[in-house]
Amino acid sequence: MALLEGRNLTIKFGGVLALDGVSFGVEAGQIFGVIGPNGAGKTTLLNAISSVYKLDGGSISFAGEDVTNVPSYQLSQLGVARTFQIVQPFNHMTVRENVTVGAMYGHARLRQRNEYLDAADEALERVGLIAKAHFMPPHLTLSDRKRLEVARALAMQPRLLLLDEVMAGLNLTEIERMIDLVREINAAGMTVIVIEHVMKAVLALCHRAMVLNFGRKLTEGLPHDVVNEPAVIEAYLGTRFAKTRTGSAA
Amino acid sequence: MSEAAVLEQGAKASTMRPLVWAAVAIGLLVLCAAPLGISSYWLRVLTTVLMYVIVTQGLNVIVGITGYHAFGNGVFFGIGAYACGTAMVAGLPFVAGIALAIVMSAVCAFILGWPILRLKGHYFAIATVALNLAAVQIIIQIGGITGGAQGLALPLSDWDPKPLYIALYYLMLGGAVASTAIVAILLKRPLGFALRAIRDSERAAAVMGINTTKAKVYAWAISAGLTGFAGGVWAYWITFIEPSSAFDPAVGVKAYIMLIIGGMGSILGPVIGAFVLEIVSTLVWSGFLKAHQLILGLLIVVVCIVAPNGIINAFARLVRSVRRNDGAA
Repeated sequence: MALLEGRNLTIKFGGVLALDGVSFGVEAGQIFGVIGPNGAGKTTLLNAISSVYKLDGGSISFAGEDVTNVPSYQLSQLGVARTFQIVQPFNHMTVRENVTVGAMYGHARLRQRNEYLDAADEALERVGLIAKAHFMPPHLTLSDRKRLEVARALAMQPRLLLLDEVMAGLNLTEIERMIDLVREINAAGMTVIVIEHVMKAVLALCHRAMVLNFGRKLTEGLPHDVVNEPAVIEAYLGTRFAKTRTGSAA
Repeated sequence: MSEAAVLEQGAKASTMRPLVWAAVAIGLLVLCAAPLGISSYWLRVLTTVLMYVIVTQGLNVIVGITGYHAFGNGVFFGIGAYACGTAMVAGLPFVAGIALAIVMSAVCAFILGWPILRLKGHYFAIATVALNLAAVQIIIQIGGITGGAQGLALPLSDWDPKPLYIALYYLMLGGAVASTAIVAILLKRPLGFALRAIRDSERAAAVMGINTTKAKVYAWAISAGLTGFAGGVWAYWITFIEPSSAFDPAVGVKAYIMLIIGGMGSILGPVIGAFVLEIVSTLVWSGFLKAHQLILGLLIVVVCIVAPNGIINAFARLVRSVRRNDGAA
């Protein structure tokens, strides 16, 4: 059975269908990629899964439990953690304090001082931020702030980690480091959903990928197969390019 | 700021700690000894200062730490005053009146918080102001044991005035120390972490497992309990309360200015803010009888321009830059 299952997820913003009946399943232990052009509904999907937006239709189950429209905080206590595409650090708390919040209130709910401090330092160690534990977030580079997002999520000790464009805005070396980090996290047994524009990362990381376009699910499959589908190329690059591509391949 | 500079800053903050403790200890000793050597006029001024320390620390919990701008937090001062007043008129002892002042204020915040704390930003601020206005109407309409619009005279103590005023001074001092300790402890507890997280990003706090509404309601209940205590002691001190004095919006506004002047979200900022504003305004008032409001207003504007994050942060920055120059020399 899938760890996370979404059925006919629908979200409307006024008259716009931001998500239009999207169904998918993520198996435990997978890295599941969600790709699609700008405005396809990727982040909306993630907001729907993490209960930041209420669903207008459809249902979600996590680990066999129906979690449709449960409050965000309950979902994270059940074991779903996420990062934000536009990073949301607690700017008046040190890096270590930021991560400590995750250990205190996430899935782990550690309430012993030594326990939550250890968990926070372990998460910082894993993302390579331990040397900057006493920094204030505004003094970090974007790459480090993205790592801080990941560290906060890791300190929650979740079963499912949702990464919203953690590669966006990073340079090539930083992307490589982030890919390694996600791979390590997954190898340690955590299920991961990545929303990503950096195709290289998707191809390198994901076991399965789903493509969204205009709020609808276009296709799903192995990453290499998916990105070569004419419908996907068309969604990204337009009809004319798709025709020449498929024409020359034939 | 370079990595080295930040590291240095962290190391220096810890060397400041014994100095701060020493200053706090000396300040407390002076305050404990003060009633022995000051006139009854200055005893009254200092009692007022300490009362405002409590009210400002109460405000600090919801505004400074949680980031919810409760402009009308003075409503709990009035609720505390009336809870204590009506309890004593009904024949209960002072101690019971104070306990009731704390509990009534906290319970009101707890009940009102569930709907109101779902409002964000200025909507919440406006709602708290509306509460203050509503409270005045309610007290007037109830009449009876609250005295309504005529006000309420509390039973007089059988103590002599001098020891009574000294006792009330120590009670306010105890309250000021306790409220500052509560803020310090809160900042170390998981609830304090949750509140600071909410202040910086409520959305991130929620997806990290914090029940934000519950945390905010707890914060407001603590805030209200502290404010209610101050109101209760004030009622007994002043012996006659009426809706317009107990629910005077100026109480909340003054505490707000003290919080801004001192430093929001810090432990000692509200203490400094209350002392500076109340003592300066007393001196200005006695020196410039006709223009004291104008001069006080100008002083507040100047402080806000020079030290926008409060005196305590400006002082910390000054110490840091002096030490850095020492290091370079």
